[in-house]
Amino acid sequence: MKILLMGHPNVGKSVFFNRLTGANVTESNYPGTTVDYTKGWMKIEGEDVEIVDVPGTFSLNPKDRAEEVAVAMLHENKDAKVISVIDASKIERGLYLAMEIIEEGYPLVIALNMRDVAEDKNIVIDAGRLERILGIPVVSTVAIAGEGIKELIYRIKDAKPVNVADIIANAANASNTESAADAGGAA
Amino acid sequence: MKLSTGDRWDLIDKISKETVTFGAYKHTLKDAIGELTVKPMTGIPVAIAIMYGFWSVFGSFAGFFTDGFFVRLFDAYWLPWLQEIFPGQGGWLYAIMVDAGGIESGEFVLSSNCLESFGVLTSGLFVAVGVVLPAIIIFYLMLALLEDIGYMPRLAVLLDTVLHRVGLHGYAIVPTVLSLGCNVPGVAATRILETKKQRFIMMTLLAIFIPCGAQIGIMQDLMPNLMGWILLYLIIGYFIFGYILNKIVPGKAPEFLIDVPPYRRPLLSNIGKKVGGRVRGFFVVAIPFVLLGCAIVGVLYQLGVIQFLGDALAPVFVGWFGVPKETAGPLIAAFLRKDLAVAQLDAISDLMTPYQMITAVVLVSIYFPCVATFAMMLKEGWKELLGALAVLTVVVFAYGGLIHLIGILLGVA
Repeated sequence: MKILLMGHPNVGKSVFFNRLTGANVTESNYPGTTVDYTKGWMKIEGEDVEIVDVPGTFSLNPKDRAEEVAVAMLHENKDAKVISVIDASKIERGLYLAMEIIEEGYPLVIALNMRDVAEDKNIVIDAGRLERILGIPVVSTVAIAGEGIKELIYRIKDAKPVNVADIIANAANASNTESAADAGGAA
Repeated sequence: MKLSTGDRWDLIDKISKETVTFGAYKHTLKDAIGELTVKPMTGIPVAIAIMYGFWSVFGSFAGFFTDGFFVRLFDAYWLPWLQEIFPGQGGWLYAIMVDAGGIESGEFVLSSNCLESFGVLTSGLFVAVGVVLPAIIIFYLMLALLEDIGYMPRLAVLLDTVLHRVGLHGYAIVPTVLSLGCNVPGVAATRILETKKQRFIMMTLLAIFIPCGAQIGIMQDLMPNLMGWILLYLIIGYFIFGYILNKIVPGKAPEFLIDVPPYRRPLLSNIGKKVGGRVRGFFVVAIPFVLLGCAIVGVLYQLGVIQFLGDALAPVFVGWFGVPKETAGPLIAAFLRKDLAVAQLDAISDLMTPYQMITAVVLVSIYFPCVATFAMMLKEGWKELLGALAVLTVVVFAYGGLIHLIGILLGVA
């Protein structure tokens, strides 16, 4: 099995990579630290799994060489699973890239990283509800501190391709049930 | 099923409305510091202070270990010991490995220090371990701190306007600063620039004008009072030729958008890992090249090739650049390692005036990227490499001649 770590620049992909594989790729606090991919290995439930630290990209339409490497990596590995690393304090843009990858049919796990930064900014994310809407595992993490990494590994097996139509339906349902609940509360 | 961009954003909007609550945003101390270091009025003084601090720590740390420890170790113990025990004094192997010595009144005499001996085991090891190693350890330690705190993107924002003049944008500061450590990761980092034009300009400027940490370290130790001038010539060259390249290279130089990340407390473990990795890289890649460079130059001296090249190119060296023909040897060494070349220039410093030394070191810096950088540029594309080499040839002759001319006008060359 092969797992790609994908996400925007400077969301912590290399931190996950080092945590997962025990490798030593460079981690820094600026976008564009990783400009080429690095491969490493880890064991999940006895199986050897190859992990790839992919350069950061904002979307699947590359705008520089590092992003070209990222998109090519995704397209060369049609059978890979993807850990979509999202900066929890900038969740919408992260979801945009995640949606693009979901639409291409890849099985996905979302790591809502930097939960601490989001909390500093008073942003609260209902990970459970996000998981129900998207139909894929969503795990809150603080990668530099190692929080949530175990759960992330454990949930990788639940990653599966989902149909965008289902997500649209779930999102609509979710808002309906909420308005229903609101109406009930008002009454 | 694939969505259009608009539909995708609509869906994400809906999802985030269901799952995310945004509380009141509080302005924290971190934000305040963040803003102070980005706004030009306060940011520029802070940047200057940081650079100055960087420089002072670099100089005193490297000086402490090199002059206070390694110079004594190598000159007082290592060199005499090797001179004593290595067999075949005066022979070619002895000259290459230990001490090329000198001839005084017809007699072979041994060198008195590790710079003048030119041997692989003496000069080579001294330059690599005694001078460059302390310099790059402290350089990488401070670079790692700046990287992990999150200062680099702020420096990028501050320098954006200036770097637009040379066809780049603020983020070009990342490859530039990385190159000050070693040009190889600097060249790799040009991938974060958007257009071919920007990557070409950046790569060319890095290869020509940015001295690496090893070279800065050895200059700091051997010629501290000339280094300011050398760096000034290099910085001015960076901007003059960047400006010209921007005018003549076709292509776009777009604006850049950047996420300035929040400041973070650096993790000791990460700093340690990064510095450790880079220093390990130095041992594995750089030290063998220093020793190899030393050996090659030694062999070429023994075969008379360097004297021959020096004589053949004397009109260019003396007439055009205004430096003695003996700079031929260091220029050959510079292809393998710039630090070694500077050390060899310093060893023949009694042949040169200070101004000639400045010119010679600038030439060593700009004339050809070291072999590791060359290989990395080739990996990024042979067309770009050929283009960069063409620019380089023009720059060496134009700028080298200009520096000579300035010297003539100042009456010092």
